[in-house]
Amino acid sequence: MHEVTLGMNGTTEDIIVLRDLSKVYKDGVEVLALDRINLDIAAGEFVAIVGPSGSGKSTLLNMVGLLDTPTSGQILLKGIDVSRASPNERARLRNKELGFVFQYHHLIPEFTALENVMMPMLIAGKKESEARVRARELLVSVGLGERMDNRPNQLSGGQSQRVAVARALVNGPSIVIGDELTGNLDTKSSQLIYDLLRDLNKRINQTFILVTHDMVLAEKTDRIIRIVDGRIVCEMRRQGDEFVASEKCDLGEDGGEIRRD
Amino acid sequence: MPSATKRIPAFELSVVSRHITYRKRGTALSLAAIALAVAVSLTFVALQDGLQEFLFNIIVDDLPHVTVTPKDGDDYIHLYKSLIEWAWSIPGVVAVSPGLGTTATFTHKDNVENVEMLGVDPVEMDKIYNIAKYVTDGDLNSIHGGKRVVICRKLAERLKINPGETVVASFPDARPAGLVVSGIFDAPTGWPEDIALVSLSTARDFLNEGDVVSSVDIKLKDVYLADAAARRLNDLGYKAESWQQLYPEILRTLAIEGFQNILIILLIMIIAAFGIGSVMYMLVNEKTSEIGMLMALGATGRMIRDIFLLESGILGLMGGVAGAVLGLIFCLYLKSQVINMSSAGGQQVTLPVIISPWNFAVIVLTAALLSVIAGAYPAWKASRLDPVEAING
Repeated sequence: MHEVTLGMNGTTEDIIVLRDLSKVYKDGVEVLALDRINLDIAAGEFVAIVGPSGSGKSTLLNMVGLLDTPTSGQILLKGIDVSRASPNERARLRNKELGFVFQYHHLIPEFTALENVMMPMLIAGKKESEARVRARELLVSVGLGERMDNRPNQLSGGQSQRVAVARALVNGPSIVIGDELTGNLDTKSSQLIYDLLRDLNKRINQTFILVTHDMVLAEKTDRIIRIVDGRIVCEMRRQGDEFVASEKCDLGEDGGEIRRD
Repeated sequence: MPSATKRIPAFELSVVSRHITYRKRGTALSLAAIALAVAVSLTFVALQDGLQEFLFNIIVDDLPHVTVTPKDGDDYIHLYKSLIEWAWSIPGVVAVSPGLGTTATFTHKDNVENVEMLGVDPVEMDKIYNIAKYVTDGDLNSIHGGKRVVICRKLAERLKINPGETVVASFPDARPAGLVVSGIFDAPTGWPEDIALVSLSTARDFLNEGDVVSSVDIKLKDVYLADAAARRLNDLGYKAESWQQLYPEILRTLAIEGFQNILIILLIMIIAAFGIGSVMYMLVNEKTSEIGMLMALGATGRMIRDIFLLESGILGLMGGVAGAVLGLIFCLYLKSQVINMSSAGGQQVTLPVIISPWNFAVIVLTAALLSVIAGAYPAWKASRLDPVEAING
């Protein structure tokens, strides 16, 4: 195991800690996608990352999801610095510690709903029988007990996305990451997915980080982080039914208002 | 950190088996390409092997495997009886045929022809050259009686002589004598047309050289023992040469043909493997976002690579096995066919087809191997995809 190194303010309670995280894309022109981001996310938090397109919110999510590597700075996952981990180690951590739900469900069309949910466990090398039992439980808990043997083309968009949520949860990850996960769904299906995530958050203390530009969804989370030009410009936390801006909130830079898209 | 341990690639295999069963068109295309190439290759090899063996048998069956000739400077082999004894002592010898050749002039009425007269033991000679079957009028063994001659048909035509008639043979060193034509044969391919066969004693009578021969031909059970047999006789002081030494072009021709066959088959299979390669390439392009998702779910580049390598290999092997079955059906069909020759005589022949399990195994495995090689580039490309870019298509 890695030696446990804690961040400056990081505690073992913090599942993810970002320290001065920067990402520069050098694709012809240099683009500063993330500019010295500092962020701590604790276990059981339900976080939304918002911001205009091209603000860097997806880049940030890819960093947290270990799909991309930072140019500088640190990513601490459960206290362990993973920012320089090898591709294989990152793959192992994605499998074990992270769950992903994207805008499109990206279910494998040749596999049934059940088999798609089993996939991360099979990648981990777990026994098929064990994976089947676990996947079945999760599909029941996302309300798809009746559709387990359907293939993705026999499922609606909302149902597919619920399968994708079950798949994200199957290995018991520390964090589930959602990138515009309701972006392709109608209001009713979006509401269903949100209710599901909220329920999981409460019931099993599952940490969620969702990138969205749907403010209706964002305002149902507990913490909203607004990113503009690669910087966190505003952070708000739920207190009861209200959101309270933290001292970090630089209202001047961003017009100071959360717009409803 | 747990090290990457060896495991059964259950995940990779499950993805591969779904690709194969659900993507029927791609699978069918790949399998058809490989199966056809394998079937064609196998049929081609079976026919070529059959043809080679056929030619080899024609050439080697009707040739002496070892020929002993007089030593340099000598005209004849003296004391040949001990040579014959030595020859028979070699294991695997099936025939030893002494021959005494001389030139003569044959006269019949107004027709005069120079001939190569060969004194032989008809029984032993037939074992080596299979000449008796070419004798159409009369009998080769009749020369045993002495003062009889079996001549080539072309020579008989030129002399305008018929079986039973007498030809006058004259020699430089002996008085002319009459020989009864007791048989006529059709010269086998490659034989001169002025051959006349008599008994050894008849030839000796005309030659006045005593108890000598001018050649001893030996036939062996296994043609590839000829070199060893020739070496043994050489060690005993005789001048013996194997068929490989006397006719090196036979082996050379077979070797060149064999090499050409391998080249042609390899090319056919490489072309078919390219089929699999392009199906895999299209598959990788089509599945880019799924590959990205699998990577997000924790699949390593190696797992992704193995999926496409395994798929290429399995398709190659399945196509190969299908091709082997198809090839076997082709071969059995061709083998059963009786072809009526259009040439004069209207002979019926069957195709020489040799079905060798070894060829089947080698060709099927080669097909699988070439498929894996053809799938290597798409597999490598898939394994190097950036997950973020891949997911977003």
